[in-house]
Amino acid sequence: MRNLTTRRRMLRGMLGGAAVSVGLPFLDCFLNTNGTALASGAPLPVVFGSWFQNLGLNPGRWKPSAVGKGYQNNVELVVLDAYRERMNVISGTKYFLDGRPLETHVSGVQIATMGSIPAGVSSDPSLDTTIADVIGDKTRFKSVEISLSGGRQSLSRRKGGAINPSEPSPAALYARVFGPEFKDPNAAEFTPDTQVLARRSVLTAVADERRDIMKRVGAADRARLDEYFTAVRQIEQQLDLEMQKPAPLKDCSIPRAVPEAEVGRNVAAVERNNKLFAELLAHAVACGQTRVFNVNFGTQGLRTPGGVRDWHSLTHEEPIDPKLGYQRDVTWFINFATGTFARFLDTLDSYREGGGTVLDRTLILWQTDHGYARTHTMDDLPILTVGNAGGRIKTGMHLVATGDPSTRVGLTVQQAFGVALNSWGRLSNATSKPLTEMLA
Amino acid sequence: MQVKSRLRAPMWVWGAAAVVAVGGIAAAVMSMRTSEEPIASGPSVTRRLTAEQYQNIIQDVFGSDIDLGGRFEPDLRVDGLFAVGASHVSVTAAGMEQYDAMGRAVAGQVVDANHRDMLMPCKPASAEQPDEQCAQEFLGKVGRLLHRRPLTDQQLQAYVTAATQATQITKSFYDGVALSLSAMLSAPDFLFREEVVEPDPDHPGSYRLDAYSKASQLSFFLWNSAPDSKLLAAAEEGELHSKRGLARQVERMMGSPRLESGMRAFFEDQLRFDEFETLAKDSALFPKFSAQVADDAREQTLRTILDVVFTRDSDYREIFTTKKTFLTPELGSIYRVPIYNDGPNGSPDQWQPYEFAADDPQTGILTQIAFTALHSPAGRGSPTIRGKAVREIALCQKVPAPPGDVDFTQFELASASPTSTARERLGVHASVPSCAGCHKIMDPIGLALENFDGSGEFRTMEGNARIDPSGEIDGIKYEDANGLGNAIYRNPAAVSCIVDRLSARALGRTTSSGERGWLKDLKDDFADNGYRLSALMREIALSRALYSVSAPAREPAQQQVAAASSADR
Amino acid sequence: MAAFTRCSAPLLFAVAAFGCASQAGAETRHYAVSWFAQATYSNDHDCSHGVHPEVEQIYLRYAERLGATPAQIATWRRKQMEGEDVRDLDELMMNRGRIDGQPVNPYTQPAAVVDLQMPGLDGKYAFGFNLDGKGADDPNAFEDPETHERGVDHQLYRALGCTRAFRGSLESRPTYYAWAWGQLKDSQPAWVITVSGDDLSKDGPVSVSIERALEYLRSNSDGTPRFDMAYRIDPDPRSRNTYRGEVKNGVVSITEHGKLRLLQNPLVAPELELSNVHLRLALKPDRSARGFMGGYQPWHPIYFGIAGVGFGGEQQVTGDVPGFYHLMKRYADADPDPVTGQNRAISVTYYLEAVPAFVRPADATQQLTSR
Repeated sequence: MRNLTTRRRMLRGMLGGAAVSVGLPFLDCFLNTNGTALASGAPLPVVFGSWFQNLGLNPGRWKPSAVGKGYQNNVELVVLDAYRERMNVISGTKYFLDGRPLETHVSGVQIATMGSIPAGVSSDPSLDTTIADVIGDKTRFKSVEISLSGGRQSLSRRKGGAINPSEPSPAALYARVFGPEFKDPNAAEFTPDTQVLARRSVLTAVADERRDIMKRVGAADRARLDEYFTAVRQIEQQLDLEMQKPAPLKDCSIPRAVPEAEVGRNVAAVERNNKLFAELLAHAVACGQTRVFNVNFGTQGLRTPGGVRDWHSLTHEEPIDPKLGYQRDVTWFINFATGTFARFLDTLDSYREGGGTVLDRTLILWQTDHGYARTHTMDDLPILTVGNAGGRIKTGMHLVATGDPSTRVGLTVQQAFGVALNSWGRLSNATSKPLTEMLA
Repeated sequence: MQVKSRLRAPMWVWGAAAVVAVGGIAAAVMSMRTSEEPIASGPSVTRRLTAEQYQNIIQDVFGSDIDLGGRFEPDLRVDGLFAVGASHVSVTAAGMEQYDAMGRAVAGQVVDANHRDMLMPCKPASAEQPDEQCAQEFLGKVGRLLHRRPLTDQQLQAYVTAATQATQITKSFYDGVALSLSAMLSAPDFLFREEVVEPDPDHPGSYRLDAYSKASQLSFFLWNSAPDSKLLAAAEEGELHSKRGLARQVERMMGSPRLESGMRAFFEDQLRFDEFETLAKDSALFPKFSAQVADDAREQTLRTILDVVFTRDSDYREIFTTKKTFLTPELGSIYRVPIYNDGPNGSPDQWQPYEFAADDPQTGILTQIAFTALHSPAGRGSPTIRGKAVREIALCQKVPAPPGDVDFTQFELASASPTSTARERLGVHASVPSCAGCHKIMDPIGLALENFDGSGEFRTMEGNARIDPSGEIDGIKYEDANGLGNAIYRNPAAVSCIVDRLSARALGRTTSSGERGWLKDLKDDFADNGYRLSALMREIALSRALYSVSAPAREPAQQQVAAASSADR
Repeated sequence: MAAFTRCSAPLLFAVAAFGCASQAGAETRHYAVSWFAQATYSNDHDCSHGVHPEVEQIYLRYAERLGATPAQIATWRRKQMEGEDVRDLDELMMNRGRIDGQPVNPYTQPAAVVDLQMPGLDGKYAFGFNLDGKGADDPNAFEDPETHERGVDHQLYRALGCTRAFRGSLESRPTYYAWAWGQLKDSQPAWVITVSGDDLSKDGPVSVSIERALEYLRSNSDGTPRFDMAYRIDPDPRSRNTYRGEVKNGVVSITEHGKLRLLQNPLVAPELELSNVHLRLALKPDRSARGFMGGYQPWHPIYFGIAGVGFGGEQQVTGDVPGFYHLMKRYADADPDPVTGQNRAISVTYYLEAVPAFVRPADATQQLTSR
């Protein structure tokens, strides 16, 4: 095990105006015997993905009847059965408007991604960006935004309203990630972050003076302060770890070039691009290029070959089939979109790395804009999570949170990724209650 | 280093305060029954800052536009108060991560281009190089306020060295100073309120808080924040050790609008308003209830109380009987009274004073939403929970926990019948001997509040049955909630409760057996002063008991010797 | 709450009788309107010539009338089916009005758009009132599905009722109205209905006022209308209407069928004007109210209100806009123009829901807010 004194000496040697770029050798003793994780127990970096698909699902056809573990998928989610043990279905939540006008297909998206409806131009950051701030700092791309049905607007926004542009073309994404600027992560020189170095040096400089308080307080208080000093030591160790070169990425492989292809607003293009994007993302994650991705399935103008109406228009215009009890063509689109999601997961899950797959260390949050698109309902929303984020999330459950704001799920997910949040959302969408059954 | 005060009082208030102060000093000295008798005190305590205190200090020192950006370790309630639990909690690893992140977030803003000109007294010779002089000036000034006492030379040197080294790594003076400041904000001297103890020269054999610890004790009690620069200066001059000097500071602080913060902090703690964070109401049964209503209700009760104890400086017990309150339009809808906004369409909701009629069941804080809705489950009211809350919160009486094997089916089955009221269903408690013992001290109280449903809205019927709101407490019977308020008003436990809790808040612990005489004096004086909370707070602030501690485990001199020979690193 | 009345005056306000009993035995209830839209009773038997096809098909009909060749039309149809852009068709449609052969904006100049003679609704049932006292024996006349009154006049229903966006039931609301109300309800000043009589639980005469408040309708955090909020009546004389009426079996009706005028909003219409106003409002045990209001309304403002959505709106929320102009013109049934004879008003029935409210009467000395 490392000697604390040695570390301190190493640091002090570097402090006197040393060069910023330091090529520290990677210390093998940190890998466990499988070479899959750091010996200190730090797992492979976790990954967050979001999947947004407008126009909801059909009430009565997606909600599992059983609650808790061991639920069975209802007909519109059966296509995800292969992932049932690795996903959660959350039902019953709502988007609250608090007296603001309902902007159909907009308000729900805002609340789902930002936890609030913006008042004016400035807006809260979307939750993928707060997660990227915590886990995406060390990768080449803080996050990657993809638009499956065309369009450059993503749902990923920074605080203040700046929107991250999304990639509608797989070929363009390939060029961006694996083009000439791609650097093989296994060959890289490691440069520890100056902020990390500086923080570590400050903690060293004040450590002696801090301990003085132990001389002054009574025995009972010393025991409590011991907890404090233990906690400080953990921060020091965390910083020490961050100054190490990260483990090599054995399973990174560069994909073949992707040909230029049509950007789709018809289902054939969406199907093709879905596979291409999923493969690119899997490679990008395995090669440490990003740890956050956002997929906007998009439904604007999506049509079937031979169909006159697009999905959105159908939700309002198509009558409910009296025999089926639901809108037939609308449901075709719902099944297509959920099927596309299933195939996306399949691709991520087929990329093997370490002892598992890329999907194993990922958590994907699936959300939509309305409970029932036909009448623009804002309640009983379907929300899904797929993956356990490297063990941080418990899965295989149907959780019911009737009447609660949907932000409970977003809060839970952000906390699982280490975002420093007590509560998320505003006004009636504000919550400080994560879904504790989900947090490991 | 400016301390931005949030509430500026106009000049005439200071003049008036001065006049009051002189009179107050004399009155305070005369109205205290005893001050020279030997006191058997309790131990010194080390208290962790509460979330609100942390926020207040940052606001005081750096201004109110600094974003904290993190979450706080939860506070712990001990003997009814977070203020007492503060001396029991520590900091976990997860909590430390948050303090570290918050410290960096705050420090980063303090030195940024928008704030540095206002908050830093000097500029470095070069923005890319260390500047020990400027770092020392800034960190010394800020450290005195954050640590609540001047930094020792060694402490200041450590922080300056930290800043210098960090500047050398990051090539930025401001980044370096910010990182040193962030270390200050997660130091134990900042996060914990340590009580430094010294022998009391006026009472040989006894011990007292040192001047700076006295300043902290006083400031956290009256203003729920760290001592301001004036109070620290008074400590430095030794003024706080003299009766006159202490009285001068007490009058200054009691005459300030900031006293309201101290009172607010106490009542939020005592009324357990932290429970609002986990409050959920069934939205189908109570569509009017919302997060906004919960926030407004909490503020309504605080404003009602402050109107009695702060604005009008009236009899504390009136909080249980007053008809005067403050409402927003959202609250008006639940209380079913019209509260009109002023201004054009879309103007934000405003607070308005409102007085209920003499025969209106709205009487005092126990009938307000922040009590009736807070102490109910999500789907209904609960006489038992409310009765227990009255005992615990208004009267400081302990109710034993229910046995582990309680069978609720009786209650639930009966609640399916449309002709039963809660009174009838709770009759089960009275009929089962193992239940009756505790329930008879809770249920009759809460039954008076049955007219208020789970969201605090008034109703006369429950299903098809008319509600009977009569009840009794400790032998006093009453017809309805009006009567309940009056019964609490007349209950002597309500007075002991407030005196006990306020002194526990000030001390950070419950009183020891040796301090009982002091408590009795406080109670008697409270009655003589018309039960005015300001008088009680003044008397506590001026009491020797607040600043005395029992003998420390090791003599201070021995502690020095122990340190010199310590090789624990 | 019969046990006591909340009559304590808020501090600082002048004491007045806000909804308190001031005359012996008088009872007054105030309601804030929480839903207001055309009353529809769409079913499978109300458009014998078929519900109007999607607006894309109607565009192709216009294209044909404007001279497009069959080959062109077939190409457009194929592109529509395959989800391809049809920008040239879109541009043709955006300017499908013709004056002297020149293309003009069809939404602002609907008379310049060819009338496709789309069929109107011809079903048996429509909500409403027999406004002119005639037609009860006419086999083609409407019958109200709730009251079974015959000879109901609701010509706007004939005009719009076969277009998908205007079809629906009272519960499952038509797309256009759901969208319009959703856009406006949280900002447009609320309408307030006041009913006063000696004892509203017994049959007898009442006075009905329909007025506009200064503030918008307040909602609960989940969007449902909030009971018991407080509204100030707008003193603007353009929105003050009072009628004699009666209450029978808990249903309030207007017996003196005057004119109604209420300021509305620019999105739908600047004003709502009705003449020969009829009202049927049930006061429900949960303290809310629900019912129907009918009368003759000038149809040009109705048209221009719908037309405001323009080309984008045609495809999402309304359907073929200039087509509505021709339909309304055809079915208009009142107030003939003295020169042309064309009816300028059309019979209409609105369905409304309302929640209990506190109301502060207009104070003549109050400063009018600017518009």
